[in-house]
Amino acid sequence: MKHCLIVDDSRVVRTVAGRIVKDLSFTVSEAAHGAEALEICRKDMPDAILLDWNMPVMNGLDFLRALRREDRGKEPVVVFCTNENDSEHISEAIRAGANEYIMKPFDAEIVESKFAEVGLV
Amino acid sequence: MQESTYNELADLALRTTGQHIPASKSYLIDARLSNISRRESFATLDDLVHCLKARPNQRFEQEIAAALTNKRTHFFRERELLAQIVGYALPHRLKQSKNGRLRVWCAGVSTGQDVWSLAMRLREEVGSPLASADIDIIGTDVSTLCIETANQGTYGHFEVQKGLSIHRLMTNFTRENSGDWTINKELRDGISFRRHNLLHPAQDLGSFDLIICTHVISDLAKPAQHEVLTHLSRQLLPGGFLFAAPSEEIEGINPIIKPSRDMRGAFERDTSASKTVAA
Repeated sequence: MKHCLIVDDSRVVRTVAGRIVKDLSFTVSEAAHGAEALEICRKDMPDAILLDWNMPVMNGLDFLRALRREDRGKEPVVVFCTNENDSEHISEAIRAGANEYIMKPFDAEIVESKFAEVGLV
Repeated sequence: MQESTYNELADLALRTTGQHIPASKSYLIDARLSNISRRESFATLDDLVHCLKARPNQRFEQEIAAALTNKRTHFFRERELLAQIVGYALPHRLKQSKNGRLRVWCAGVSTGQDVWSLAMRLREEVGSPLASADIDIIGTDVSTLCIETANQGTYGHFEVQKGLSIHRLMTNFTRENSGDWTINKELRDGISFRRHNLLHPAQDLGSFDLIICTHVISDLAKPAQHEVLTHLSRQLLPGGFLFAAPSEEIEGINPIIKPSRDMRGAFERDTSASKTVAA
């Protein structure tokens, strides 16, 4: 099974997204901010990362930039999942190495569609 | 919904657009008419039908019939078909074209995502012969509201996230202050939309190299399927192709069309069959 790391400071979002991603046959791990996510990645690099933008300690963009500098850090498919829905934020995320972008609010169909776009399902 | 109400509305759909809505799917009627019912302040669909019978109003009937059609769609819904059309069918027709001009009819497009998806794919054909071809695409639907949405090319947050990659969204759309996304001007060249009922002859639309009619025919009653295929086939240029969705079984519905020998998955007009019908 593929492994998806869900990074979001909202437990509700992690739970909802986790259920959706499990239904797509992923194993799921969770992190509440970028620094925690980076630790998880160093131990067990996931296949996919669903990533919030605004989080305490380390935000999503800083995490992504740090991740892409890690050994094997270019391997995970990173899908931003955020309330930052304007073109400037989206462009910045793509420049930092995001593979896809989900604008909150989202539903299961959107997650599946976006995962399909990047070959995860 | 009372059984008599279902019967009235199912009959209206059948008469007006050829839609077959079996009793086992009467929930579709509830779902598809909920907006109109709410807007007109009917407490139930029984009230709506009662009003229609008491005060017949052809325009309102047409609006209801259009609302009863299946509008469910999303961007890049039929990716393989799109790849075949852009990779093989259009280049094939372009080679046969004397003036480098091609005409495509997307029939029954609901809110237009199929048309815009084709337009996006064509725009990505940089360096291919299609890039310099003059390609007109017309999208039609029986619903005036759908055609207005398609023509406006403005879609909501959820619509642009189903079937569209973020790259295609950023390349082809502009975000409005409202949070909706609108198709860019550069994509609109050669694209038009018109209201058209597929049960009616379509001579005024002209003739086409390709007719794409997906997820429409399978929702129709058998006689309507036959009639629609007759009208569609009459608008095919000699050697032109008709495409339905790969999941739809349209072979054998009407002898006027037959599977193409030149193009996998496509249909073409059987001129011998039409001569027989004419005779």
